[in-house]
Amino acid sequence: MTLAPTRGSKRRAIATPAVARRPLGFFLALPPIILILLFVGFPIVLAFAFSIGLTGGLNHVIASIGLNVHEAENWWGTPAAYIEVLSNSRILRDLSVTVGVTALSTVTVIFLALGIGLFLKLRGGRIARLLSGLAIIPLFIPVVIASWAIVTFYSGDGFVRSVFAQFGVEAPVWAFTMVAVVIGSVWTSLPFAVLMITSGLQAIPNAMIEAARDAGAGFLRIVVSILIPMAFVPILIAVTFTAIGVVGSFTVPYFTGPNAPNMLGVSMSNYFSAFNQPQQSVVMAFIVFVIASGIAAAYVWANFRSAKDQGKV
Amino acid sequence: MTLIEEIHSTTPIHRETDAGGLRGLRVRGLHKVLGGRTIIDNLDLTVRDGELVSLLGPSGCGKTTTLRMIAGFLAPDAGSIQVHDREVSDLGAEKRPSAMVFQNYALWPHMTVQNNVGFPLKLRRLGKKEIEQRVDAVLALVNLLHHKNSRPARISGGEQQRVALARALVQEPELLLLDEPLSNLDAKLRVKVREDIREIQQRLGITTLIVTHDQEEAISMSDRIAVMNAGKIEQFSRPAELYSRPETEFVATFIGSLNRIEGALVNGVIVPGDDVVGIRPEDVVFTLHASFDARPAVVERVVPHGHFHEIYLKRDDATLRAFASGLPPAPGDRGHASIQNALTFRQGRLVTTTRVTA
Ligand SMILES: Nc1ncnc2c1ncn2[C@@H]1O[C@H](COP(=O)(O)OP(=O)(O)OP(=O)(O)O)[C@@H](O)[C@H]1O
Ligand SMILES: [Mg+2]
Repeated sequence: MTLAPTRGSKRRAIATPAVARRPLGFFLALPPIILILLFVGFPIVLAFAFSIGLTGGLNHVIASIGLNVHEAENWWGTPAAYIEVLSNSRILRDLSVTVGVTALSTVTVIFLALGIGLFLKLRGGRIARLLSGLAIIPLFIPVVIASWAIVTFYSGDGFVRSVFAQFGVEAPVWAFTMVAVVIGSVWTSLPFAVLMITSGLQAIPNAMIEAARDAGAGFLRIVVSILIPMAFVPILIAVTFTAIGVVGSFTVPYFTGPNAPNMLGVSMSNYFSAFNQPQQSVVMAFIVFVIASGIAAAYVWANFRSAKDQGKV
Repeated sequence: MTLIEEIHSTTPIHRETDAGGLRGLRVRGLHKVLGGRTIIDNLDLTVRDGELVSLLGPSGCGKTTTLRMIAGFLAPDAGSIQVHDREVSDLGAEKRPSAMVFQNYALWPHMTVQNNVGFPLKLRRLGKKEIEQRVDAVLALVNLLHHKNSRPARISGGEQQRVALARALVQEPELLLLDEPLSNLDAKLRVKVREDIREIQQRLGITTLIVTHDQEEAISMSDRIAVMNAGKIEQFSRPAELYSRPETEFVATFIGSLNRIEGALVNGVIVPGDDVVGIRPEDVVFTLHASFDARPAVVERVVPHGHFHEIYLKRDDATLRAFASGLPPAPGDRGHASIQNALTFRQGRLVTTTRVTA
């Protein structure tokens, strides 16, 4: 019995610093939190207030400089700017182009990354390693340079058309079209998707594949029933990051796309500076934000579900 | 070849070959070179219908490689593999009539136990009803019906092992292959699961090949054991025979414990010579009083092994290890030690067995 108090006090002695450390941890995390709240959170709140017509206070200056600003007559704001933007057929066309380019680029990127990843996993060898290495290269080339390269490559007097002309074939001009935008988006998004998906696939033990083969599964079955479900989370991360990246992209559509319709990132910039309609620009930003949040929500949900499936939650 | 044939004729086992040919597994002239090294060297192996054979050998001797070639995950450089009289060496793993239980079970984490076991049947396009019935039946067989809807991550190692077994059994394979199926289990569970496997195997009469490096496991569950060394089968016989009549020095030292002494045994005494004398510790008898064939001995060391002791006895001709149960002698005790049985090897092969009788 003499042991008991000693043991008790010992436990308390161990427990005390842990409790004491908790506020310390909070304080350590505080600077980045404050930084984010101040420099990201606060401007977002201000911008949202501006978009619903709350033009007083810190929004006063921008509201008085900008053209075509909808002002609210009450404290809770007005949807007038949103209604204007969403009934503007030009912007709606930009919106549908944005969604279309995002979907097409994402599908293409994931398809290519999966192809490379599966090739590497199931076949291996030098060619597969070379391919997965090549797919990383865009990561090291600035987007502006790549965009210019794409434009000159596919322009009216560009490389593609020159080569085809040698054989008397008239190749299409893809510079300053949505095709070039999709090509550019795929180019910029491919490295991350390939890294993510190949590492996800490589992490699957070979025995899982062999067990499936032993059970009688052919190539397609193994891919559909074993590899894709087991690499589901990395694939999902690749999908969402690619989609979010493309939906909010600016450089690629700005340099390689047409004047109109173009992606919302470019329209936003036009409305903000060229047309001096900052409120409409902010509204578009929030529309893009809503789309991106939708993608992010799908990601969080699916991630949670798969963790639950595997008994981790 | 001759080795195996000879043993076939000397050890008749319950099921004989059919008149037409051999059911079960027949491997002939299997050869594999990996990384410039011959890993499997012209290997022959026959597993009869309904028989359980262990492939036993030290680490790196090529057991897994052999099994993977039989399962179809690795292409042999030469040789034939026949299952139930059908040549399978040109078929991919997915087309072979064998099913494998993997060392780490290789259960698919995103599927429930039920779906793991049902997957092979789903691939055969069986009806939902039939799949469910067969999955239930096999899960009942391995005693896991209550974990039907669990994920592999949520069940214990022993249960995962049984799911892996169920997934193989549900295919009703003509040949069941297991690669060190018990190595991830703790000692107690290992004994239980190996009894389970043996019991199910006998009940279903399924032709089975098990890879193991644990001799106790092999001896306790197999009809026959193929002892492998450096890509070759050294001896292929029944467990008891493997122990009492090892054909090579390697087998004698690998299976059980052996006093290995260079020389020859003459009238119970070791004399210098070119041969190797092998004496099982249990064939060395230590007594306090003298007997006609015993020689004086001093206890040098006593090593406890739980329910028995290993004692080192120094005689004037050699130092011998013996086993003692009950109250062990103490180091320094004097007594007499006699050799009851001995094996003599010349150039690694057994030449004579000597039995010293009173
Ligand atoms: N792909 C390979 N390339 C080169 N050598 C290999 C390859 N695979 C296996 N080996 C070699 O073949 C030998 C036999 O390997 P194997 O896995 O069959 O041994 P094992 O008998 O199963 O051993 P363990 O009991 O340790 O599992 C080993 O020496 C190993 O290094
Ligand atoms: Mg092995």
